[in-house]
Amino acid sequence: MAFEYLPIMAEAGAPKPPRVLAAPSNPAWCPIKKPLGRSRVALLSSAALRLANQKPFAPRDDTTYRLVPSDPAAGEIVIDHHSGIGRVPRQDPEIVFPRTALAALAKRGVIGALSPHHVSFMGGLKCHAEIESEIAPAIAGELKRAEVDVALLVPY
Amino acid sequence: MSRVAPPRGAFVDHPVGRTFGPPHDRARNETVLEKALAELPRFTRSGEIRDLHCEWLAGGSRAWEDELRTEMLHER
Repeated sequence: MAFEYLPIMAEAGAPKPPRVLAAPSNPAWCPIKKPLGRSRVALLSSAALRLANQKPFAPRDDTTYRLVPSDPAAGEIVIDHHSGIGRVPRQDPEIVFPRTALAALAKRGVIGALSPHHVSFMGGLKCHAEIESEIAPAIAGELKRAEVDVALLVPY
Repeated sequence: MSRVAPPRGAFVDHPVGRTFGPPHDRARNETVLEKALAELPRFTRSGEIRDLHCEWLAGGSRAWEDELRTEMLHER
């Protein structure tokens, strides 16, 4: 049986109210149009991570996002998310943001190409309507401009 | 995951914050990522969640759960 996270997160967050989980008002579905070996792939991360030389995320309620170069040699990754689970991922952000592994899959031909950049934002935001109407469409626009076929969200 | 209804969901039974394996294990990072991407053509409807059958500890041991519970309650 899978580990039950929500009761522990509620206990860890007390006395704050438990988090609200919101399903999208209009569930998304895009058919796969190309085989993976011909697809351009991007990562999405809710860890509020960035290159060390990019603008830091604000500690709370930051609705901005960062375009993070997909080249693993582009620079060190910093995780700004305030979650209490950050001790281990900060030792090695690749375990929540597998930039190097994705580049290796591109080199092996498992995926067609890397997106020029991946996208990172702050997970745990409470402004669900704004996420649906503004933030998600803005990120989708970035992916479309980069001609991304597959976007893999790694929740944090 | 079912409560937030992603269009396609891949379940990785690892401790939270270690989705692609322990720190500095590039081979495992790549294995988990490749498994997730390989599932793509198998999804048939929005909201489906597919189990990648990843084990954190060999033999399927759940010994990591107590450690993680302590970590989540005390490292905040």
